[in-house]
Amino acid sequence: MFFSAAIFSCADIAHAQSNIEIVDFNKLQQVFLNKSDTTYYINFFASWCAPCIKELPDFELFAKEQSNQKVKVIYVSLDMVNTYQQSLVPLVNNLKLTQKIYLLNESDPNNWMNKINKEWSGAIPATLIVNQQKKYNKFISNSLSNSTLKKYLP
Amino acid sequence: MKLFLGITSLFSFLLITSFTNFLPKKTVEKTVNDFSLKNTDGKFVSLKEYPNAKGFMIVFTCNHCPFAKLYPERLNALNEKYAAIGVALIAISSTDTIQYETDSYLNMVEKAQNEKFNFPYLYDGSQKVAKQFKADKTPHAYLIWKENNKWVVKYNGAIDDNGAEPDKVQNPYLSLAVEAQLKGNSPQIAETKSIGCQIHFRK
Repeated sequence: MFFSAAIFSCADIAHAQSNIEIVDFNKLQQVFLNKSDTTYYINFFASWCAPCIKELPDFELFAKEQSNQKVKVIYVSLDMVNTYQQSLVPLVNNLKLTQKIYLLNESDPNNWMNKINKEWSGAIPATLIVNQQKKYNKFISNSLSNSTLKKYLP
Repeated sequence: MKLFLGITSLFSFLLITSFTNFLPKKTVEKTVNDFSLKNTDGKFVSLKEYPNAKGFMIVFTCNHCPFAKLYPERLNALNEKYAAIGVALIAISSTDTIQYETDSYLNMVEKAQNEKFNFPYLYDGSQKVAKQFKADKTPHAYLIWKENNKWVVKYNGAIDDNGAEPDKVQNPYLSLAVEAQLKGNSPQIAETKSIGCQIHFRK
C-alpha cells in the first residue's frame, strides 16, 4: 500500500515537472475539436526523432509570439508509454518546453492516423493546424520553422 | 411477389456485377526491380539468387531507431517461418550514415552478429533501393510477389500493430499478407500506417 502510494506520487511529480499528460486519441481530439475560434498547431513528435527535436524551439518561439492571439501550440508525443520517463521527460526538461504535451497512448497508428489526415504515412515530424470555427484544416508532413509557421495562420 | 423480388434482385445483381466490371481497379499495383546490395557477410545479395522464391518480405530497418530496435526477434521468427516455403525475409538499411554513425556498415555487421539475424541485412549506401520502394521510415515492411517475372508490391506498411508489446499484437499485418498470398488471395489489408524514424534522403 505504502509502496504503491510512493510510486504514484513519483509519477505525479514527473508529470507536473514536464507538463505531460497521457491520453488516448479520443481524449486528444476533444482538445482541439471544440468550436472556439482558436487555431491549434498540433505538432506530432517523438524524443527519438532528430528532425522533430530540431524544430521544437521554433514552435516554442512561435507560441510565445502568438501568446496574445487565439493561437495555441500543442505537442503530441509518439514516444512509447512504457519508456517515456527515460526518453521523453529528460528531453522536455532539457528544451524547457512550456506548451502542453500529450503522450499518445495508442499502440496501432491505423486506428487513429486517418482521423488526422488520410495521406499521412506515419513519418514524423508532422503538424496539423486547425480552427474549427473558421473550418480551417491544414496538414504538413514536413519540418517547419518559425517563419513558415506564421504563414499557415488562417 | 416472391418471383418479382427474385427477378429484381437477380436483375440488380447482374447490374452491380456488370457495373463493377467497368470500374477501374482501386490501385495500380506497383512493381519493383531487383537490386544487388552488400550483406553483412561481405557478399552481394539480389532477388534472382533465390530461384524458388514466390515472394519476399523486404523490411527497411536500421541500427539507431528505437522503433526498429523492437523488432529483430520478430524478424527472425518471420524468416524462420516463411523462408523455407519460398518467402524469405531481407532487411535493408538505407539510413543516411553521415547523420547516423551507428548505421555504418561496420556497425551493421556487429548488429547482425549480436542479434543473430537469420536473414540478410543489406547496406543500401546510395539509398537507391529505398527510393525505388518509396520507403520513408524504419521499420517499413513490404511484401513483394513474383508475377509474370515481375516483383509486384502486395503489402506495404507496419510489421504488426504493436511495436512496444509483442504479446499484445492482434494484427500481424505482414504475416497476414504472406498467408493470403500463399493461399492465392490478395491481402485484405494491403497498406497500413506505421510510426518510425524517417529515412533522411541525402540531396
